[in-house]
Amino acid sequence: MKKIALNINGEEYVVDINEDMRLIDLLRDKLHFTGTKEGCGEGECGACTVIMDGETVNSCMVLAFQAEGREIITIEGVGNGEALHPIQKAFLEEGAVQCGFCIPGMVLSAKALLDKKPAPTRNEIREGISGNLCRCTGYNKIVDAIDKASKYLKEEGETK
Amino acid sequence: MEINEVFKPSKVEEAIKLLDHYQETSKIIAGGTDLIISLREGKESASVIIDISSIKELKEITKREDWIEIGAGVTFTKVVNATMLQEKYKGLIDAAASVGSPQIRNAATVGGNICNASPAADFIPPLLALEAVLVIAGSNGIREIKLNDFITDKGKVALSKNELLVKVKFKELKRNQGLGFNKLGLRKALAISRICTSVYLEISEDSKCRDMRIANGSLGRHGLREKVVENYFKGKPLTSETIEIGSQLLEEEVNNRLQGRSSAEFKREAVKGVFTVALNKAIENSRL
Repeated sequence: MKKIALNINGEEYVVDINEDMRLIDLLRDKLHFTGTKEGCGEGECGACTVIMDGETVNSCMVLAFQAEGREIITIEGVGNGEALHPIQKAFLEEGAVQCGFCIPGMVLSAKALLDKKPAPTRNEIREGISGNLCRCTGYNKIVDAIDKASKYLKEEGETK
Repeated sequence: MEINEVFKPSKVEEAIKLLDHYQETSKIIAGGTDLIISLREGKESASVIIDISSIKELKEITKREDWIEIGAGVTFTKVVNATMLQEKYKGLIDAAASVGSPQIRNAATVGGNICNASPAADFIPPLLALEAVLVIAGSNGIREIKLNDFITDKGKVALSKNELLVKVKFKELKRNQGLGFNKLGLRKALAISRICTSVYLEISEDSKCRDMRIANGSLGRHGLREKVVENYFKGKPLTSETIEIGSQLLEEEVNNRLQGRSSAEFKREAVKGVFTVALNKAIENSRL
């Protein structure tokens, strides 16, 4: 056992971990952030995507101890618990969600993209979500949703 | 996965001390995109894991005299965005950008790609074409070795248990020198390369090929140079005829090497196109 400190969705956590625990195991099994999904367990599907220090990573490919001192954002930290984040709102409006399993990872990849590049082209959006597999939607509606979210975020920025 | 102890050193010396102490029982982790899978599948085992991703000096891209140095802990995302590498080193950037997915490029490192020595490693061919040299730290100090001599077989490298790859370096490209990269995968993202080729080219004043280095991935047990084809081009003008003959020579080389493999038939044909594109990129790049 080992004790580590890390920040998840803006809150500080000090937790006991097993040395062989992956970040996804810590998030889901220990801290119950079950919005993060495990799909393939080998970095192909992106369902376990979280944002670590501003960049997306597959949480199935990070050992928990490596996250010591890092800032993690999971899908639970994207909205504020009451109002939806503009990306989530756009996904719902555009019908970008079917079974939903890939969506937490998809939304986080979209967020990491829009944080760095607020007005991406459709090709840049496709590249931004190229590490996230969706077997339902055919991606077009997801790309539409991220495009729409970028407009929402721009409007939000202008009214602030 | 039976891991008993984990360490997160912040200095190279600390990492070396740990490696020296734990030897075979320990494994280095950086991005973890290969290691965690093989540990979980039982293909590799380690009771001690040493995370080098917090060592700052491994994460720098710098220029020293006429060498460009890339730290072993530099991620592919960092390579793609590196100001120093834009334009002139597009061949390297293309190779880095073709690795995995955004999530994988954010974690996976240049050092990991080299030390795992996969036959399909995307970053190895351009480094071989640049005649890259590796800087390795151990308890006895620092040593240097050519990348070409470092990779000894599929997945095997000349690195002792108590050594750490610190950086990879190569000579800066001059005005008449260029680098090109091209990859054939089954889809755009997350594709393991079926063929990847990198070409380094030096053009003489009379527009002939003064020097060429061709390195391929996924066409042998590890990334390797194509000396027969390189020798053919030296001193010749780069015309559609010579490029055609050079490509045919490459086809023969690949065909001989892959004999008996089911992929030989398509690869010997496809390699010509993959090479020609990489060469044309190198020609274009040598004019920058």
